[in-house]
Amino acid sequence: MADNQTSTPDKPITYSDGRATRLFDHFKREWQIYLMLLPTIVWFLVFLYKPMYGLQIAFKDYSIFRGVAGSPWVGWEHFQTLFTNDQFLRAVSNTIKISALNLLFGFPAPIILALLFNEVLNATYKRTAQTIVYLPHFISSVIIAGIVITAFSPTAGIVNTFISWLGFDPVYFLTQPQWFRPIFVGTGIWQEAGFGSIVFLAAIAGVNPSLYESAVVDGANRWQMMWKITIPSILPTILIMLIIRIGNVMEVSFELVILLYQPSTYETADVVNTWVYRQGLQSGQYDLAAAAGLFNAVVAFVLVMTANTISRRYSRTSLW
Amino acid sequence: MSGVNLSGIVKAYGAVQVVHGIDLEVAEKEFVVLVGPSGCGKSTTLRMVAGLEEITAGELTIDDRRMNRVAPKDRDVAMVFQNYALYPHLNVADNMAFGLRIRKMPKDEIKTTIDDVAEILGLTPYLDRRPADLSGGQRQRVAMGRAIVRHPKVFLFDEPLSNLDAKLRTQMRAEIKRLHNRLGVTSIYVTHDQVEAMTLADRIVVMNDGNIEQVGTPMELFNDPANVFVAGFLGSPPMNQIKGVLTATGAQIEGTEIKLSGAVNDNVGRDVIVGIRPEHVTLEAGEDTTALPIALDLVEPLGSEALLHARSGDDNLVFKADTNGDIAHLSGVKEVHVPSHLVKLFDAETGRALNLGA
Amino acid sequence: MMKWNLYSRGDKFFAIVVSILIGMFTVATLYPFIYIAAVSFSSGFAAQAGKVVITPIDATMEAYGFILKDPQFWISYRNTFIYTIGGTIMSMLFIIPGAYALSRPQLKGRRFFNLFIAFTMWFNAGLIPFFLNMRDLNLLDSMFGIILAFAVNAFNIILLRNFFEAIPQSFEEAARMDGANDFQVLWKVFVPLSKPAIATITLFCIVSRWNGFFWAMVLLQSEEKIPLQVFLRHTIATLSDDDEFAIVQTAAGFSAETVTAAIIVCSIVPVLIVYPFIQKYFEKGILLGGVKE
Repeated sequence: MADNQTSTPDKPITYSDGRATRLFDHFKREWQIYLMLLPTIVWFLVFLYKPMYGLQIAFKDYSIFRGVAGSPWVGWEHFQTLFTNDQFLRAVSNTIKISALNLLFGFPAPIILALLFNEVLNATYKRTAQTIVYLPHFISSVIIAGIVITAFSPTAGIVNTFISWLGFDPVYFLTQPQWFRPIFVGTGIWQEAGFGSIVFLAAIAGVNPSLYESAVVDGANRWQMMWKITIPSILPTILIMLIIRIGNVMEVSFELVILLYQPSTYETADVVNTWVYRQGLQSGQYDLAAAAGLFNAVVAFVLVMTANTISRRYSRTSLW
Repeated sequence: MSGVNLSGIVKAYGAVQVVHGIDLEVAEKEFVVLVGPSGCGKSTTLRMVAGLEEITAGELTIDDRRMNRVAPKDRDVAMVFQNYALYPHLNVADNMAFGLRIRKMPKDEIKTTIDDVAEILGLTPYLDRRPADLSGGQRQRVAMGRAIVRHPKVFLFDEPLSNLDAKLRTQMRAEIKRLHNRLGVTSIYVTHDQVEAMTLADRIVVMNDGNIEQVGTPMELFNDPANVFVAGFLGSPPMNQIKGVLTATGAQIEGTEIKLSGAVNDNVGRDVIVGIRPEHVTLEAGEDTTALPIALDLVEPLGSEALLHARSGDDNLVFKADTNGDIAHLSGVKEVHVPSHLVKLFDAETGRALNLGA
Repeated sequence: MMKWNLYSRGDKFFAIVVSILIGMFTVATLYPFIYIAAVSFSSGFAAQAGKVVITPIDATMEAYGFILKDPQFWISYRNTFIYTIGGTIMSMLFIIPGAYALSRPQLKGRRFFNLFIAFTMWFNAGLIPFFLNMRDLNLLDSMFGIILAFAVNAFNIILLRNFFEAIPQSFEEAARMDGANDFQVLWKVFVPLSKPAIATITLFCIVSRWNGFFWAMVLLQSEEKIPLQVFLRHTIATLSDDDEFAIVQTAAGFSAETVTAAIIVCSIVPVLIVYPFIQKYFEKGILLGGVKE
């Protein structure tokens, strides 16, 4: 027993119990966690994976009566139709344009807001302001749209009331294509900038306070500290959030688009998902619409995967 | 036999073996401490006894019943965790009652059990408090109380004192010992602290690298370490280890021949490690001692004793000396005297203890 | 933070400018709500003429009277409660045990199952296959269909799984040695320890159910099943297109604008009541969802 055997090589292991016994034991002991997992797995199969199987209608001449499996294959026909369809191509281009505007104006807004919040001294004032600016996130898009429609109404809306005070003619904001994107992006900022600032505020809260203290000792003012300490410290968070946003370029919140657009603004407002909605659910062209949806999903998937790879390289933590 | 019996216990994660087949018999009512540096496999061994880790190979029996495939709850063991694992949402009484309720013990019986154990541990005034409102020592007691109420056959302790500060640790150490004397339950205790091991154990098991280095009573291990690892692990400061060669009359280390009490016999010329405990040397020459010249670096007073940090050749050595209330006389020390019969010898190659002339 | 009187003059100026900017943004956020509330209490004529700015003009409750008399308003309000409560309970029944199982290291195939669930965050079959699937499952125009089909999402499961994984292993081990099985470990230890995370997820579920519109609009045909948001949308859409309504009803003291505003107020009020209670949770909650395999 007193042998010093630190350098003895490992002997091959003879297991006390056979593999089958150990597996049987495992399930006998742990069956409950498999039972707990089962409903969730079944749910995912039925509601999310089965539709993926149904995606094959993008390559089929789908008829309701024949069903998904029974409809005949047509190959890439729907995709050929799509890429010669001006409306669809317009929807793709609108999706990208709206996302780009969102990125340009919507992305910096919460960062700026977080930096400003960080400089507010009065705790009560800060708390109250935060409570208010987070609120719109929790309001449904129907209500948001209702507010926008009321506020921008040509005769009754407050916006046109202001415009008439300034001596101009009322503007038909919601029926004119050139106004759709500014209103849509502006609404998005109004609704999400406050809530989006939480992530950045948390990042700021994680900055080591002694950095600020040593900066104070070195004679830095608040403005300099913001630029020299706060912003560089939260840069990784900013980059990760930026990458996520780029990965989600195909995800325009189409619910709000449906609620705000009308035929006269399709030209600038129609995005891929609203087009899919009209073609598929309203006009019954399921196969063509599914093809468009598949195109959207594949592009989104590639973007998200690319974004994750980049972020993994950058931050050494992947996004999931 | 009753008690806990480990034979050829192996733990492997895939191809990586972390416990290499250990044999250990823990007698009934015995207090056994597994001690070793972190990563030596002591906690894994304890967790295999608890049933929290699967045993890869070997046999574990408790009271002669094979336990390899028995669920933790059916092994009749209770465990005190390093972080106590007290449920923050339950008060002290409910924390202790948790296991009893799960086992469907009648309510009034639970109450009397809890009250008794709280009394033993001095927790009666705190039964309504949440863990967050307790001090570290009180939490530690609750964790033990939770184990005690179950009246298990075996207590398992996984570094239960390492989250306490030094003073509390000493206090709780004594309390654990008293509890064991009172309850007499077989206990296996894991720690990396050799002082805890020495003070608590009936028998100490020194582990290193997934193997047992030595098993024995604290004094056996202190007096007769089986190898250089045990010699260096137990004792504070640890045993000085100096390279040397055996001669006909002793052990030749750089510049000095240390006299030995036993006969060297046919071992002359063998490479050895000479072990000298810091507290074994004297400042005055005595009967049968060797004078070891040293270059004194530093004197660290501890109160009644002082540590002498010194160099002899290439070796850094530490010795203990009495201060008698003053350290001024220690700054001039030029040599220490090594009593022959207390010198330990180890084989330089294997590190194992050498017994000469026995 | 430093004391105000330690600030230099430049820093004081900076702090004041910041406070003003924050104040402007806050007012801009709040103003539309105040405006809508003002419209809802104004007379139809005043609203139509665009006279309402911040306070009600010719204050009246006529618009509310019109809505509260509409039985469909009460039906859809009741339905929204059913969808919100039923849907949230259904979500918890899936999410809590599912997240627990996925957080257990002993679960065989854990990596696979985690990927199986996370994959749905990155790839989605889209509107059409989902709709056709609902039709095949006979869940069109079904209240139960709405409750079940939107019960789970990958994000919430992963959020709770992350929280469960952060609970020290020894809590589970201690409970196991005390004789608890997995259901007991989950219910008596993990759920009480995870109240903040579960509250956050409950909150997310409640909000998304309360606000859910698109699929309710697509999947539900019967008026007696539609939730408030769909009713609201119908009302806004029909009122603003209905010229006859404009002429007839404005004489009665309300208009399309004031009625729309009144419905908006009615459906926001519950959110405003709950909002202060939930605020402390969501700030932590969205950070929990973070970034981890």
